[in-house]
Amino acid sequence: MLFQPTSTLEVILPLRAVLVLDLMGLFFLIWVLNLIRHGRLYVGYGVIFIAAILGTMITLSVPKLLLGVTHLVGAIFPASALTLLALGFIVLMLLYVLSQLTLVSNRLAVLIQELAIERSRESARTATRYIDPAQQKNEDDNSFR
Amino acid sequence: MSSTPAQVLVAVPAYNEEATIEKVVSRVWESMPNFDLLVVNDGTRDNTRRILENLGVVTATHLCNLGYARAIQTAIKYALACDYDVLITLDADGQHHPEQVLALYDETISCGWDVLIGSRYVGTKDYSHSPPGRRLGMQLFSQLVKFASGQRIYDTSSGLKVMRRNVFEPLAQSLFVDFHAEAIVYLIRLGYRVGEYPIIAAERTHGQSMYSFLSHLKYPLKTSLLVLLGLIEANLRRRRN
Repeated sequence: MLFQPTSTLEVILPLRAVLVLDLMGLFFLIWVLNLIRHGRLYVGYGVIFIAAILGTMITLSVPKLLLGVTHLVGAIFPASALTLLALGFIVLMLLYVLSQLTLVSNRLAVLIQELAIERSRESARTATRYIDPAQQKNEDDNSFR
Repeated sequence: MSSTPAQVLVAVPAYNEEATIEKVVSRVWESMPNFDLLVVNDGTRDNTRRILENLGVVTATHLCNLGYARAIQTAIKYALACDYDVLITLDADGQHHPEQVLALYDETISCGWDVLIGSRYVGTKDYSHSPPGRRLGMQLFSQLVKFASGQRIYDTSSGLKVMRRNVFEPLAQSLFVDFHAEAIVYLIRLGYRVGEYPIIAAERTHGQSMYSFLSHLKYPLKTSLLVLLGLIEANLRRRRN
């Protein structure tokens, strides 16, 4: 048989838990701000974390809001609701970070390709057995004028 | 048809091919003296780079290993930038005989193919002489291409291809896992003429394959996903145009 809470009081997080979680949030908030300040975290990413941390801290500190969120996600206990939301956030962030990583990797690959092409064109111009076709076509066109 | 002879580039992507690269370059120069040669050095860690420098061959060097697809894409971008009409790709491991390339090139020009693949299997339509793993992969990808594009291609993973200028741009813009099944489906769905021409290829004897053990496991899944995405992308692109 499923456990059902007998009163509203049972589902509210204990004050100590709220304090500990808020302190953790505060620590992460200061850390994120410090990382941004030292240029070690892009402001755009920092905003996401600050919004998530502040949102969690406010939800934890306002019991009615916490209960509302718990009911909204269909959980019985606030801890379950918070865990579910945290997991969702982690998956979302992981996907976002990997997509950003792919973007950077693609940009780097394009840069390496462009560098290789430029260098090879340069070496091709100096090579004896090679004539740049684009250059040759231009020269042919010019000779008709 | 223009009377100006086509500007042809032969591109050889190479990754740790010190044992074979010199021979391949020499054979390309001997058998195709009128074609330009570009070796794409894909971040080799052996003596390939030094050998290429000594040979004086035009080389596009990737500062780190980007993989086969990127190496081919570099060759395509180079061909676009230098205004080539035709690009021929062949492997650096000596599997392809450069002497067969001219027949492939002639067939492309005379029959108006946009891409012509040097195929090990289209002549016999028989995979039985291949190792079991490869045989299974070949049949799987051949069927996948037929399912996705409606056209049977017997050798989807051949590195010997002749491409005309009109396919350079669509291929340079998209990223493929290795320019095999997914690129073929993409081009066929875009309405380009892709064909096969029988060739004889030797087995790799030296060097290191661009595919690691892990990539052999991931390859079928990645290719299948990319075939699907290529199909969607080609349909979207056709609608936009």
